[in-house]
Amino acid sequence: MVSKRVSRRRFVAGTAAASTAFIAAPFVRGAYAAGKLSVGFWDHWVPNANGATETLIKEWADKEKVDVQIDFITSQGNKLLLTTAAEAQAKSGHDILAQNTFLPARYAELLMPVNDLMDQLIKDNGAVNATVEYLGKVDGKWLAVPATVGSQIKGPCSRIDYLKDLAGIDIQAMYPAGAPPKADGWNLDTFLKAAEDCNKGGHPFGIGLGTTSDSVDTIGAIFHAYGAILVDAKGEIVVKNDQVRQALEYYKQLIAAMPPDVPSWDDASNNKWLVSGQGALIMNPPSAWAVAKRDAPKVAEQCWTHGFPAGPKGRFAPFLPFFWATWNFSKNQSAAKSLLMYLSQASSAEKMVAASGGYDLPSFEKLTTFKTWAEEGPPKGTLYHYPNPYNHQTLSVAAAPAPHKIAEQIYNQGIQTQMAVRYFKGEAMDKTLDWAAGEIEGFMRN
Amino acid sequence: MADAAIATTTAATPAHGRYGSMSRDRRWALRWSYFFLVLFACFFLMPPLYMFITSLKSSAEISAATNPWWVYSPTLSNYIELLSQNQYLTFFRNSAIVSVFVVIITMVISVIAAFALARMKFWGSAALATGVFLTYLIPDTLLFIPLFKMFAWVNDTFGIQLMNHWWTLMILYPTLTVPFATWIMIGYFASIPKELDEAALIDGATWMQTLTKIFIPVALPGIIAATIFTFTVAWAQFLYPLAFTTSTSELVLPVGIVTTLIKGDVFNWGQIMTGALLGAAPPLIIYAFLMDYYIAGLTAGATKG
Amino acid sequence: MADIAARGAVTISADGRSSLHKLMQRKSTIAFLMTLPLILLILVLVAYPAGYAVYLAMLNKGMNKFVGLGNFTFLFGRDTFWMVVYQSCLFAITAVIFKAIIGFVVAHFVHNIPTKGQRKWRGMLLVPWVIPPAMSTLAWLWLFDPSYSAFNWILEHVGLDRIAWLGETGWARFSVILVNVWFGAPFFMIMYLASLKSVPEQLYEAAAIDGATWWQRIWYVSLPMMRNIISITVLFSLIVTFANFDIVRVLTKGDPLNTTHVFATWAFRVGIESGDIPLGATVSLFMVPILAVAAVFILRDITKRGSEV
Repeated sequence: MVSKRVSRRRFVAGTAAASTAFIAAPFVRGAYAAGKLSVGFWDHWVPNANGATETLIKEWADKEKVDVQIDFITSQGNKLLLTTAAEAQAKSGHDILAQNTFLPARYAELLMPVNDLMDQLIKDNGAVNATVEYLGKVDGKWLAVPATVGSQIKGPCSRIDYLKDLAGIDIQAMYPAGAPPKADGWNLDTFLKAAEDCNKGGHPFGIGLGTTSDSVDTIGAIFHAYGAILVDAKGEIVVKNDQVRQALEYYKQLIAAMPPDVPSWDDASNNKWLVSGQGALIMNPPSAWAVAKRDAPKVAEQCWTHGFPAGPKGRFAPFLPFFWATWNFSKNQSAAKSLLMYLSQASSAEKMVAASGGYDLPSFEKLTTFKTWAEEGPPKGTLYHYPNPYNHQTLSVAAAPAPHKIAEQIYNQGIQTQMAVRYFKGEAMDKTLDWAAGEIEGFMRN
Repeated sequence: MADAAIATTTAATPAHGRYGSMSRDRRWALRWSYFFLVLFACFFLMPPLYMFITSLKSSAEISAATNPWWVYSPTLSNYIELLSQNQYLTFFRNSAIVSVFVVIITMVISVIAAFALARMKFWGSAALATGVFLTYLIPDTLLFIPLFKMFAWVNDTFGIQLMNHWWTLMILYPTLTVPFATWIMIGYFASIPKELDEAALIDGATWMQTLTKIFIPVALPGIIAATIFTFTVAWAQFLYPLAFTTSTSELVLPVGIVTTLIKGDVFNWGQIMTGALLGAAPPLIIYAFLMDYYIAGLTAGATKG
Repeated sequence: MADIAARGAVTISADGRSSLHKLMQRKSTIAFLMTLPLILLILVLVAYPAGYAVYLAMLNKGMNKFVGLGNFTFLFGRDTFWMVVYQSCLFAITAVIFKAIIGFVVAHFVHNIPTKGQRKWRGMLLVPWVIPPAMSTLAWLWLFDPSYSAFNWILEHVGLDRIAWLGETGWARFSVILVNVWFGAPFFMIMYLASLKSVPEQLYEAAAIDGATWWQRIWYVSLPMMRNIISITVLFSLIVTFANFDIVRVLTKGDPLNTTHVFATWAFRVGIESGDIPLGATVSLFMVPILAVAAVFILRDITKRGSEV
């Protein structure tokens, strides 16, 4: 109880300090920030991609005379998540911490609002997509700045040769490098047909159905394509609807065309599936392709990253954003703001994108056409359509538009993938829906 | 102690061939024993062997999905790369320092306490001995969140930041090692004949002298066993360092390997296996040399407790 | 020792005994001081946080309201919780039984062979227990990998179907138990081996003269002599296995369909991953009474045996 009182007082003190700092020294670049700053950034999966961030921070630190301590924290083994939980409980830690998807909303009361930064950034770099807004803005307050590093679209990455030979699909013609997609015929039916053909040809699609984010993101987008919603924006459970039934029927057919162990795949399994040359298609940002380029160049030459198939309610692709958040108990909020501003400039974003080989994806509209995506290869142009340059698909996140605290649990416990696996294993549709409704009811706790 | 003596001395005398006329029987028993031992050894040693095989492969060879049990073009590049990284050496150093200090802290606390609990019966000593055992029942997954809160309080009141420092682990690990070590030592001390310390006390020795001059030398096998046990636990501990340390300069070996070599969905298997093998080396070496003491001490302590 | 203390207490007034009496007076103080570091360590770093965890388990999700036993009753109504209880028991009990059997059998085989070779075998067989589990489980993960599984490679080459080691409930449960047995059996082996060595050789000779078969020798000689050590190892292993986190977390993360979750991993999923810390603490707390019951039974058995001897 004592600690709570302390925390509230510190909270008040923190916001007061922030607002005075804001008046005294607005975050405009060049403002004298000084002091010490510790940042915990997501440890990048693409080799050497941390370098660009490090250089940018050093540049800023030299200019502002700030002593910066940088930690790159992996999300592997939930290290980053544990660190975030520890800092939130201990009320001390990094001044800036990378938080993904639902975390800013989870810690909304502990984060420093950044509306001022976001207003400026949106003016400079263009609007952000609806998913970033849903995840990063709660009750009109921007809780964090969408980060370039680590944000990703988990679109399909296909084998050009397998799709052509086994399914008769010329994916490069559908998504030509340097030109708008001609993919009107690329819908869930053709996708399923292709999956079945490739399975018959011995190179099944590899889409995970475990409870880790790759699996959940994919099924989230396909549910959205059917308009299948489990919980609506008001927090009502609406599991039992025809759209959900359709989506489950679809997944049942899709799972039948995939390897039998997909229910326990994690985020690494699909990458290995592609790199080992067995799979014809996976849903992943370009890290799998990047590894293939290093370890299995022959596979990489046949990879093509492209858009999602369209469903009855539209064409949705999963977007998994990272945010840079500042705790309201941070001791140097003005310096944090100044650094966040610096890292969010178009020039900074471009450097990060280049260093990550096109993996990182800024959330701002005007920042999706850097030349990295056009030039990366082989095959040249393989990443051209990765950042969704023509707004051909709607970026989405699984479990939206449910209230964050419910959506977060649907997402983290993989309710949708579990429903799909249950139904696939022969459970009656109603039983599956009842089960999901029961689980979600358990998430309504406050 | 008696058990320990038997365990070590029988190791020197042949334990077979004294069953009289059943030599044919024994030959068969021996053959079957070897047969099954080979089978079990295959089972027990297969994962480390596979680690070794994988550690000699380049990532290209691993990705090519060739025969997983054979190395076509062996390379030491994984070892060279790891051992030339400062980062990996930092993990190793942190692990070594933490483990050694945890062993010292644990042994000092538990030997002294075990002596008091085994020999100096006082009010509540029996309850305390049971309490020590009960702490073993509390899982560490339950404790780390409250510990976050306590560390926050320490930071607020004393200005000492306990989060994200490797030396914090030296405070935390004893919670995992002390109960078991104390328990082993209570059992071991209980097996020492009472006449020994009574005689010493009557001769005017203080309790501390009785402990250091008589009990510690006699109970050395038990102490060595508890030491090795503590070292193994400290070296292998995973959850606490995962929860309490973040910066690469503060990580210990198991967490360092898992968090820096595994990059999300891109596993660098060659290096992970190399790192794991090198990380397993120190306890393996210690066991190779001290195994006999370990076995003798552990069994004597555990049976009497 | 106890009677010396008692005599000291009774003969307070006796002059000749006063020095001994002083000693006794001081003894409890000294003893208390000697156990003080232990007491402090346990109070500060185990008991207080454990008490705090109990308090946490009685808060609501937002951690700003006291809900009493609300979290416990909530859990009783969840199917997933009961599945976790079932799987935890299945996991711990099956694993401990197999560890004990394999440890027992292997210890006998090692005991059977000539002494000079025993050290070598013992060393080899102890290896799994010495490698930090976080590392060795990674090797198993790699052996079970869906795309690169070295086991499936063998299966395919002998003409069998590949197995979804971690993908189907049955196999996934088998796999996590297998890895736990692999890691824990050597510890049983080493404890049993040492205790076998302490069984007097004459007992076996007498049994052999009476014409006992090898099975009877094990059943009537080895087993009764090893009773204490078996109870103790089973108890400790049960505690550690029940609270296991690494193996399931690394291998399956509870998939498929939450069927491989044990208490610790599910507590982690609920508390840390899904942000419901009080509920996570509640799940973890369920381990304690189950373990305490096991501890009471096994320890009582040991002390009973001990007093009989």
